[in-house]
Amino acid sequence: MKKIITMGCIALLAASTAFLTSCGQKKTVLRIYTWGDYFAQDILDAFEEKYDCTIQLDEFDSNESMYAKVKAGGGGYDLIVMSTYTAKLMYEQGMLDKMDHSKLATVNKYFDKKYEHLTLDPKLEYTIPYFVSFTGIGYDTEKVKDFEPSWAMFEREDLKGRTSLLDDHREVIGCALITLGYDVNETDQAKLDEAVDLANKWKKQIAKFGVDDTKQSLASGEFLMIQTYSGDVLQVSMEKPSIKFVIPKEGTTVTFDNFTIMKDSKNKDLAYEFINFIYEPENAVKDMEEIQYVLPHTVAVDMVDEDIRNNPAFKVPEETFERCHLLIDLGDDNAKFLKAWDRIREE
Amino acid sequence: MKLFRNCGNFFLGLPAFVWLLIFYALPAIVIFFIVFKPVDSNGGIGEGWTLQAVCELKDPSYPAIMWRTFWQGIVSTFVCIAISIPICYQLARISNVKIKNFFLLLIVVPFWTNFLIRIYAWKVFLHPDGALKHLLVWMGVIPQSTMLLYNQWAVLAVMIYTYIPFAVLPIYSVAEKFDFSLLDAAKDLGASSFYAFRKVFLPGISKGVLTAVMVVLIPAFGAYLIPDLVGGKDSHLVGDMIARRVFTDRNLPHASALSAVLMIAVFLPLVAFIWFRKIFGTKSPDDAKLQLKQQDTKQRLGSSLLFTSDTNVSQNQQKGEEANE
Amino acid sequence: MKFFRKNRGAAQSRFPMLITLLTLIFLYTPLVMVVIASFNASKYGGSWVGFSLIWYEKLFHHDVIWNALLNTMIIAFFSTFFSTVLGTLAALYLYRSKSKFKSVYSTLIYTPLIVPDILMGISLLMLFVLVISVCGGWVNSILGINMHLGFTTIIIAHITFCLSYVTMVVLARLQEFDHSLIEAAQDLGASNLYIFFKVTLPIIMPGIIAGALFAFTLSIDDFVITFFVKGAGDTTLPIYIQSAMRRGTPAVINALSVIFLVLTFVFVFGTQKLLSRKKS
Repeated sequence: MKKIITMGCIALLAASTAFLTSCGQKKTVLRIYTWGDYFAQDILDAFEEKYDCTIQLDEFDSNESMYAKVKAGGGGYDLIVMSTYTAKLMYEQGMLDKMDHSKLATVNKYFDKKYEHLTLDPKLEYTIPYFVSFTGIGYDTEKVKDFEPSWAMFEREDLKGRTSLLDDHREVIGCALITLGYDVNETDQAKLDEAVDLANKWKKQIAKFGVDDTKQSLASGEFLMIQTYSGDVLQVSMEKPSIKFVIPKEGTTVTFDNFTIMKDSKNKDLAYEFINFIYEPENAVKDMEEIQYVLPHTVAVDMVDEDIRNNPAFKVPEETFERCHLLIDLGDDNAKFLKAWDRIREE
Repeated sequence: MKLFRNCGNFFLGLPAFVWLLIFYALPAIVIFFIVFKPVDSNGGIGEGWTLQAVCELKDPSYPAIMWRTFWQGIVSTFVCIAISIPICYQLARISNVKIKNFFLLLIVVPFWTNFLIRIYAWKVFLHPDGALKHLLVWMGVIPQSTMLLYNQWAVLAVMIYTYIPFAVLPIYSVAEKFDFSLLDAAKDLGASSFYAFRKVFLPGISKGVLTAVMVVLIPAFGAYLIPDLVGGKDSHLVGDMIARRVFTDRNLPHASALSAVLMIAVFLPLVAFIWFRKIFGTKSPDDAKLQLKQQDTKQRLGSSLLFTSDTNVSQNQQKGEEANE
Repeated sequence: MKFFRKNRGAAQSRFPMLITLLTLIFLYTPLVMVVIASFNASKYGGSWVGFSLIWYEKLFHHDVIWNALLNTMIIAFFSTFFSTVLGTLAALYLYRSKSKFKSVYSTLIYTPLIVPDILMGISLLMLFVLVISVCGGWVNSILGINMHLGFTTIIIAHITFCLSYVTMVVLARLQEFDHSLIEAAQDLGASNLYIFFKVTLPIIMPGIIAGALFAFTLSIDDFVITFFVKGAGDTTLPIYIQSAMRRGTPAVINALSVIFLVLTFVFVFGTQKLLSRKKS
């Protein structure tokens, strides 16, 4: 019995020392809340070294869950990376700080104005664009026969049970609306109903709705075709070259993920430095090569490794931009989308 | 003096009582309270009162989800118990204590492994390029196109997998005390093995079975992670619906309404269980005895959740020592 | 097969043994698969690429995981401490009390054992949200504390669900012990306090430790309730595992699972060994 007591004591001792050491940290901590796998580890390490600080990185998997958590819990973040439409909502609620451009020299020097029309905040008042992400189709060229760059692929019977759609009401209904030729932010009930019918047709063939887990399923051969974001597929295709990403001919949704600085942040200067640091050309290149999304950067994009750069899924041709639509926050009309989403999820 | 001691006792129990009142009973009431609140557009709880969340329960998709939750709960409970009875019979009949404990531990260890990791193991196991899939295709049981993951059968299999130890432990703790000479006696009187098993052994362990039903059925009704991780587009259960209302839709009143339904669904069997035991549990209506029996069952329920609890081991040990002598 | 009790009459059916063995296979096959997969060099799993220890190496250098482990330990430490104190007191009360109130009390103690995690999680979340929205403002203006979901709410939730388990384990120990010891001490004129510290406490100590260990394990293991009441970014190990599973970076998780499995086996078999040695 004594042994058990000793064991217990040791466990408690270990726990308490662990606790004490955690209190002993004196370095400044930069708290970042972001999507999963969204920064190259090397860059974070380099930043920590240069500014003698610690980065605490927490990850979320949807704008909505991030918003719910920050709304309820504060969280004490300095920087959050989020889509523009959520940033707008949070800015209007006074949760985000206004950007002080005098502290953003590097960003101002390198930001590529060509991308301005892809954000809801073109003057960069409260957001600094990070990556631009296109929704599209990722598929396995070896296993999907007669591929056509169209959302209609999701109606194909021969792929039944081997495909997935994003678990995101704006993306699925949005793409259905685009396919029908409507506006991606349409709130007219009749048009939404049509979109629901179309999405239900897709749903019949898919295996599941998912976000981040589906790229792994695509890589491991679980799924043959998925609706997903560009960079996710490109990351996977590094390991499995038969996997390809396309933007359907009907068009798609596009969102910027942006750096935002929280109003109650205690390390705002460090947060500005972090954004500048990412915009330093050599860091931007490293980040893009690893995460495989495009940073709206005048210099760095052309410095990215040729194989990656020449992939039309990475550096999307200008004419494709025409077919990409911005999601905006719908306010109270969001409830209509959620209702519609329920009708898709639960037939 | 006696009064004083009672008072002292009362203060002993007070902290835990107050704690559970505030953080266990009160939240349950809060749920029923929030059901009647409106949502505000920022995802919080609005002012005033409304029946909106209750009305939304009429949503045509809910009966299907509730029915699925119900039958999956019942089926997984039934299968778990059907598997556990022969196992416990077998374990109780093993006379070598070391081997018996070893078997018991083998069954219980998965229960001590992290829940997420157990579910994750199933994702690896049922992977479309995994060994099981290849084996089944090679054997010609299923065509290449069949998906093993992301459907309600996967959900059911993982539920059974995770709840088996819950069913084995309470049944085992009763079966272990069962007097197996009764079975032999029945057979001597000409009963077939199966008849004796059914008429003598089963009634003998009925209490353990009843407890097992409770500890499997109720958590099964609230399953959330399993459908979330191995389920597909059509295998949602009430549990993961609640989570979605909270984390994706930010509709707390709606989540509360669903939780209230689940809570009622959970407490009904619980009440039935207590009532059932009152009717069939004791033969004498003597209050004190009843109290004692209740205590006993709860105790068993409790200690059986504790892997091979101290008592089990010591009992086994004693038996072993007796056998050695 | 000689360890089976010999049946006097008909030959014993092999059926139960068959079920037992099949169930064990059922229980362990998925776990074995994970162990195998953890040595697969492929980043995304699926087909076998080659043998590799790279995921173990990556795991070792994975700061996020170590940080999550630290968080888990802090939470487990506090919730174990408080739930053990509260639970032991509750067990003492239940053991001694003879009042009618006891049945209400024991219902309150025992039902949390089987209530589904999700109900406990969501109801606590609702309570916290309500309290924060009602009192958050004036607490901030008076005390200057910004109330939000975080470690405190996680620890409160963990204490709540661990408490019942501790009570149950300590009570089981209390009911085993010989009450005449206390009476003997009373006859010898010992004060109540003296009896508690010199007789009762040492006797139930193993129960308290077992309860604390139980609470500790439950706290480390919990995902569902933590997920509901945590604030943004409070990452415990199970929370990390779940998000890694959803995100699809499972190769490291395979390795982590194997380490978990090994630790569990060592822990369970180790305690078993200790206990049986004590008895003999």
